[in-house]
Amino acid sequence: MSQLNVVGQSLERPDAYDKVTGGKGYPVNVKLPGMLHAKMLRSPYAHARIVSIDASRAERLPGVKAVLLPKDVPQIKFCPVFFVPVQAPSMVLDFDVMNGERVRYVGQPVAAVAAITADIAEAAIDLIDVEYEELPAVFTPEEAMAEGAPQLHDEAPNNIAKTPFFEYGDLEKGFAEADFIFEGTYETQRVHTCYLEPRVCVVDMDRQDNVTIHVTTQHLFGTREKLAFALGIPETKVKVVKSPYIGGGFGGKLELTAMEPVAALLSKKCGRPVRLEQTRQEDFITTTRNPIKVYLKTGVKKDGTFTARYAKSILDCGAHATHGSEVIMVHGAFGLFFNYHAPHQKWEGYTVYTNNMIGGGYRGYGAPQGSFAVESQIDEICTKLNLDPIAMRLQNARKQGEPHPFNPAFTLATYGLADCLREGAAKIGWEKARRRDKGSSGAKKRGIGLAVHPVWVSGCMGFPDIYEHSGAIVKINRDGTADLATASMDIGSGQIATLTQIAAEALGLPAGAVRMSSAGDTDNLPFDAPTHASRVTYSSGNAVKEAALSAKKRLLEVAGSMLEVSPADLEVSDGKVSVRGTPSKTLSVAEIAQRAESPFVQMTAQGPQPTVMEEKGTIIGLSSLAPKSNPTPCAAQFVEVEVDTETGEVAVLHAVYAHDIGRAINPKAAEGQVEGGFQQGMGYALMEHIQFDPETGSCLTTDFLDYKMPTAVEMPRKIDSIFIETDEPTGPFGAKSLGECCVITPAPAIANAIHDAIGVRFTQLPITPEKILRGLGKI
Amino acid sequence: MKKMLTLEVNGDVHELAVELDATLLRVLRDQIGLNGPKKGCDSGGCGCCTVHVDGKAVYSCVCYAHSFDGVKVTTAEGLSSGEELHPIQAAFVDAGAVQCGYCTCGMMMAAKQLLDECPRPDEEQIRHGISGNLCRCTGYAKIVDAVKLASERS
Ligand code: FES
Ligand code: FES
Repeated sequence: MSQLNVVGQSLERPDAYDKVTGGKGYPVNVKLPGMLHAKMLRSPYAHARIVSIDASRAERLPGVKAVLLPKDVPQIKFCPVFFVPVQAPSMVLDFDVMNGERVRYVGQPVAAVAAITADIAEAAIDLIDVEYEELPAVFTPEEAMAEGAPQLHDEAPNNIAKTPFFEYGDLEKGFAEADFIFEGTYETQRVHTCYLEPRVCVVDMDRQDNVTIHVTTQHLFGTREKLAFALGIPETKVKVVKSPYIGGGFGGKLELTAMEPVAALLSKKCGRPVRLEQTRQEDFITTTRNPIKVYLKTGVKKDGTFTARYAKSILDCGAHATHGSEVIMVHGAFGLFFNYHAPHQKWEGYTVYTNNMIGGGYRGYGAPQGSFAVESQIDEICTKLNLDPIAMRLQNARKQGEPHPFNPAFTLATYGLADCLREGAAKIGWEKARRRDKGSSGAKKRGIGLAVHPVWVSGCMGFPDIYEHSGAIVKINRDGTADLATASMDIGSGQIATLTQIAAEALGLPAGAVRMSSAGDTDNLPFDAPTHASRVTYSSGNAVKEAALSAKKRLLEVAGSMLEVSPADLEVSDGKVSVRGTPSKTLSVAEIAQRAESPFVQMTAQGPQPTVMEEKGTIIGLSSLAPKSNPTPCAAQFVEVEVDTETGEVAVLHAVYAHDIGRAINPKAAEGQVEGGFQQGMGYALMEHIQFDPETGSCLTTDFLDYKMPTAVEMPRKIDSIFIETDEPTGPFGAKSLGECCVITPAPAIANAIHDAIGVRFTQLPITPEKILRGLGKI
Repeated sequence: MKKMLTLEVNGDVHELAVELDATLLRVLRDQIGLNGPKKGCDSGGCGCCTVHVDGKAVYSCVCYAHSFDGVKVTTAEGLSSGEELHPIQAAFVDAGAVQCGYCTCGMMMAAKQLLDECPRPDEEQIRHGISGNLCRCTGYAKIVDAVKLASERS
């Protein structure tokens, strides 16, 4: 890799200044003239038939402008997940915006109102009378699959929405060859992404079906396609406006929900823009991480080599499959099946309907649930067989140069797992901490734990049915700066910084000379896949680099004409174009762009400049391309905990995370991803849990007083991030991906550290103080 | 029903007709047009809406605006005067403490209260001082760094 000037620097984030001075660029701030406010009426029953709806009292309330009932909403079934087509064969097509016959979970929208204020809309929905006929409901996947259970969807016998499986080798033979067999069941809970900006949209739909929407979304083009489909209109009728940023997503804003089409239809009815903002209580029941129960059986040789692995996973998708039909696949593949070598393997997955709220996307997308099982069980194996947990993992892990387990057309060109383990272990003092006394006399016991995530993605390239290409526009300005436009959303993960750094590096411009355009929409931007699947740095980054190189090619053609040399003899650095080997022959990028852009003969101190028609025209580069590969990042997480055996509290004292990300484009932004990822993973491990009333199915977690996530006080005082730079040949300047492994590894690492501290193995998340005390036999 | 209310917000005096049950957050956002105070939960659980009322940090989403007739309110927009960023704002930018930024304005107002009362806080004081404010992006590490930096610089 030649010398990098902009990539690799922890540059200030270009969006930080606006965000500390108030923050203009969020969808929640959008106000349009004449805008109305909407609210949705939601079902109080988990399972019921809608007998009748009478909205006449609501319609008469002064200030109410329109009421929307199921009869006004196209009754179309589709998949609302953004990154697959509306009717992708791999998905379950069971979602509808407002079902007129039946409700299947507490909180399903049944009607909506638009009014001149949100208060009036709120008062009006209370005046809508809905008569329900309650039906028997089912709240656990086991009950739902049992004989005689209420059937939630006609096309899904036994409430099984999807049953994928993978298999190779001969499982029985593999288990017969094992010296030891380990079995266990590992359960994870329902959690929420807890983005802080609530879901909100402002939609203007005219009577000719032209729609303009501002919305908290991780995908502009997905919003366009799904909204158009739900409304039954051509997708080019829908314009999704890119907001400069949104207040967090983490996978929680990756699908169309009722909110957008409801606001659109109300807008059409009223002829005015409509704003619909969800309350936190509504957000808690809109999308969540699916709980999965994993039964895992592993055969090992005495030395720790795997001979066979079998797993069965049962996912509670709630009332509609949505992401649940994709999460189960990613869970099986990347959470369980691909991570280590085993000659004989089998996995079966079940996505099961219940009358719980629907699940959704969340960072890690099925892998945290799988990794908790696999990495916990590996710890059990190492403890029982007295094996070194680092060596044992490496012994079963994949190696650099092997074919990619997911798609043999790709290879593991870069794979730094051994370095992650070595450097992480050194940083936390693994060897010494493993041998030390646990503090046998006092109430507080210390422990150290490890988990790795060996195989993950840099996007969805290679998955059938999934959109994955990216595009970008790079335009060089007359002052020597450049503008970058992409449909890639910065959801807080720093794309504005990293993509502009990639563009500047490719163009040869100095740090800060590339600006991310803050305006754009689906009419004028090239397609980009969502900000999801750890894909933006790698996949969008490659498109940005390509567009920048295309602009640079044109820049050098103009410069070559001006300097009367071949473009091949020119190079660009720090905003200057010079003839290789003749540094005195130099032009600034600004001078070249002025020449190209100026429609007139230019007057300079030296007199009028000659006009050459071939030099004229904006210097601009475009790209639209699918990534060449899907390189795997890999990571090792080490944690040190202190368990209070009197109170059951667990304090995480120190976290070390080592990650092969290919190249850190902006190291400080990368650290921010890891630190925030650890918070989410630690919350998953120890405290976060969406609770339901087991009788009625209503969500008891309605706000942040009920939903506990780590604050600054609970977080470890030290989080060390180590980036292993393996220089991925297909990545932009060597980069792979970063966003999700750091959320996957904390829970098993913490569970393993707790086991190290007190000798008790926990197989159900979250590991609350109560569970700790129960595990110690104290309650 | 509406009643008149006077608020001095970031140095400007506003006389407004305000619903009796409107929260301070709603008045600041919807009537005065500020973006700094943000709604993350509207129920006193996240701190995104934190502003200062007569120099003290409050969750503006749980305060009835009419309880605050005649007070001085400061929001993130009022931290800096002119083009210079306030030291806390500058420290948040420099420390890389801003990711999605949705918590940032509330977090800075919590940090300001802490530094007003305790100009040289240690790490534990900083962590407790901002513990009423949630952030879902940063793991708080760089926010703690930012508060330290702001303290050192002043
Ligand atoms: S919006 Fe006020 S505390 Fe969350
Ligand atoms: S920066 Fe996103 S919530 Fe704090």
